[in-house]
Amino acid sequence: MGTPVHKFDVVIVGAGLAGCAAAKTAQEAGLKTVVLTKLHPLRSHSGAAQGGINAALSESDTASHEFDTVKGSDYLGDQDAIELMTREAPQTIRWLEHMGAVFSRNDDGTIAQRPFGGQSHPRACYAKDRTGLTCLQTIYEQAHRAGVQFLDEWYVGDLLYDKSSDQAYGVVAYSLKETEFAIFNAKAVMFATGGYARAFGINSNAHANTGDGLSILARHGLPLEDMEFVQFHPTGLAGSGILISEAARGEGGHLYNSENERFMEKYAPSKMELAPRDVVSRAIEKEILEGRGVGPNKDSVWLDLTHLPEEIIETRLPELRDLAITFLGRDMAKERILIRATAHYSMGGIPTDIDGRVRSGAERKVSGLYAAGECACVSIHGANRLGANSLLEAIFFGRRAGEAIVQDIGQLELREAIGTESDRLSGEVSALLRNNGPDTVHAIRTDLQQSMTRNAGVFRTRASLLEQKAYLATLRDRFSQMRVGDKSKLYNTDLQEALELGHMLDFSAFIVEGALAREESRGAHYREDFPERNDERFLQHTFGTMDPSGKIALEYTPVTLGRHTPQARTY
Amino acid sequence: MYEKREMTFRVFRFNAQSDYLPAYKRYDLTVSKEEVMLDVLNRIKWEQDPTLSYRRSCRHGICGSCGIKVNGRAIVACKENVWQLAELYGEEMVIEPQDTRLAYKDLIIDKSRFWESYRAVTPWLEGPVEEKPQKEHLIEPNYAEQIDEADHCIQCGSCFYSCPAAAVNEAYLGPAALALAYRFSTDVRDKSHANRLRAVNEPGSGIWDCVKCVECSETCPKGVEPLSKIFALHNQTFEAGVHKRNVATRHAVVFKRSIEKHGPLDEAENVRYSEGSLGALRHMREAFAMLRRGKLPLPGRVHKSHNHSEVKTLIQSASKNKF
Repeated sequence: MGTPVHKFDVVIVGAGLAGCAAAKTAQEAGLKTVVLTKLHPLRSHSGAAQGGINAALSESDTASHEFDTVKGSDYLGDQDAIELMTREAPQTIRWLEHMGAVFSRNDDGTIAQRPFGGQSHPRACYAKDRTGLTCLQTIYEQAHRAGVQFLDEWYVGDLLYDKSSDQAYGVVAYSLKETEFAIFNAKAVMFATGGYARAFGINSNAHANTGDGLSILARHGLPLEDMEFVQFHPTGLAGSGILISEAARGEGGHLYNSENERFMEKYAPSKMELAPRDVVSRAIEKEILEGRGVGPNKDSVWLDLTHLPEEIIETRLPELRDLAITFLGRDMAKERILIRATAHYSMGGIPTDIDGRVRSGAERKVSGLYAAGECACVSIHGANRLGANSLLEAIFFGRRAGEAIVQDIGQLELREAIGTESDRLSGEVSALLRNNGPDTVHAIRTDLQQSMTRNAGVFRTRASLLEQKAYLATLRDRFSQMRVGDKSKLYNTDLQEALELGHMLDFSAFIVEGALAREESRGAHYREDFPERNDERFLQHTFGTMDPSGKIALEYTPVTLGRHTPQARTY
Repeated sequence: MYEKREMTFRVFRFNAQSDYLPAYKRYDLTVSKEEVMLDVLNRIKWEQDPTLSYRRSCRHGICGSCGIKVNGRAIVACKENVWQLAELYGEEMVIEPQDTRLAYKDLIIDKSRFWESYRAVTPWLEGPVEEKPQKEHLIEPNYAEQIDEADHCIQCGSCFYSCPAAAVNEAYLGPAALALAYRFSTDVRDKSHANRLRAVNEPGSGIWDCVKCVECSETCPKGVEPLSKIFALHNQTFEAGVHKRNVATRHAVVFKRSIEKHGPLDEAENVRYSEGSLGALRHMREAFAMLRRGKLPLPGRVHKSHNHSEVKTLIQSASKNKF
């Protein structure tokens, strides 16, 4: 008996903000839409976003939102996309508000906004310090209302893609509940699978953020863009890396080293703690490297909010206060808390145009394939994402991808899938269950994460990246023999973690290759051996492709510039 | 910091496909002061036994995946510090799924009834959605705050699987869904206020089947306090005039009357008014037992509290609704 083939107009992988926004749009246009998620939609990582979502609600601010984003991106962001998103941000926020998002309010009833790092104006709309949660709930509720079919706890492991016609026509998945395989055959396929910062040892991401979507495409020879750009958020809790939102600094938090200096004076005298994330993260890591760290291992710095009225912390940062109590046993209203930089956000990803259509090369697009949200690279964020732009990007481009699907669907024909097309994924699964080498998933994953943080983290050099490249090859060898200890068919989470690790190993190679070739420092990518930005050579996007042996080839495509010409980026 | 402690965990293990009965498997771990319960589950899985299954994702108490029970108490595993739990339970703990009767694989349960309840309360803001709005609704902070953390629910199920009413009454929507109903019925933007209230006002499934044990509010990891939302829904049904004359609403009415009239409760009259004279006959056995022990004042012989006028004033000032 072959694998069952389910037919839809649209199949979307991932049920966070981007996936739900696209699904709602497609379903409302009368397209039969299914969303597959390895979690439940309301468990998606979009819901973890804390601090805010940007929009220039006062018209006079639109131009500066655009400029702040371009400058924040270290001029690697594509200005046509940035211009579009920042211009339509206010109506996007208000659309969310009309659908039910519970934003915090000003006394006059308008949506309240707070300052955020790297921004010339307070424009982060927020819902206390759980902005992502209200956005995710709202968009899921409305997609559900529209009649979208959601399939929870389905793991998507392969794309149906015909290389000769450059066409995508479905995905292969299995149910986590019973490890039953199925093919979801559709005219339009969309990936909204989130970020890949889980490849790093200290990270703020959910267990689920293993970047599966990226390497699923890459394994078919499709390109990934700007993968070397990974944002390290300045304020992760010491030990766990769990995020303390930028809102903590937006509301007035200060950073101190072991000598009780507000050290940001040295690095960004005008913006201080509210400099962009890459700048603050490097400052923190530098203080630690130079011996001015605090905490039991001297590997953190202080974040101090004790000068703020307790009422501000209670009304605007209650979730953060709770986190520091749970994970550090410290009440930020009364004592300083220990923080350090944590891998947080993936600027790179699946290359798309401004309508979410996936590129198969600089000039070509895949027929029937779309992507949006953190897994995609439009590119809005370029070399560094501005705080509170990620929710906006996910919802805005998710919706646009949905609109593009509606627009394109008439020209897209259903290429019939057959039951044997699940063989690649089922083969991958059986191999994992059969191998009986010495390593466990956990052992290889830990080695991957720690080495990525050490060699491809906040500070990188040619030597560290070459070391990491060689190390990835040994990890890949160990992975090919790795033993999955659970052989059961019911919720075999050991198997799931093994599949995810395979994806992490694949996309990590793109990060390292991209970083190795990019001999400059730009935004979040910092090369100690090339500390300056080099516009002449590298004002370009990296496009990486992987061959079946795992070897990666790079090419470069131009950045879309606009009215903002690159200048030195100082804060 | 970095202190360690030896602990023992007895973990519920079950595979619905191969096992007839569940078993509790023992794992010993050295636990440091910073670790949360999810760290314990991860370390059991990663260091000792890869076959253990549980749900998890965000690691910091916002996605609601990792709801389990420790020594019978519902928690979200990534939000509960292990040493703090040890203060309550000592160094040996029992880890179980939220409802052992629904176990499918180890700590993973079949949550379909929980999600059916979620879907039953029309979980979205009703009304037209403007696609490209130029203005937001103006909602002053005091109106916005009336939602009172009901929007903070992460659907972890801690309350639902601790609720004794939901455990015995299959039809009951349970605390999480009712708190969600409140989140929308209290939203000034919602266009379906009265319909929502009618829906949760149904006997058997709705707000009147709560037994007010406070377990939901005690167990909620996010401060949603579902019980307070259920109480608020009681009031809203009267305010909106959608309440029906049934035993539950009559009980609410006579409760208030009795306190207003006497101070203490007139138990006999409460039963007679709520259930009707015929219905009250069903309770004669309990009535006599209570009478014998002096727990039931005879009708008309309820003594008045000595500062009764104060009670009366309080009731009047607190009454928002006309019965």
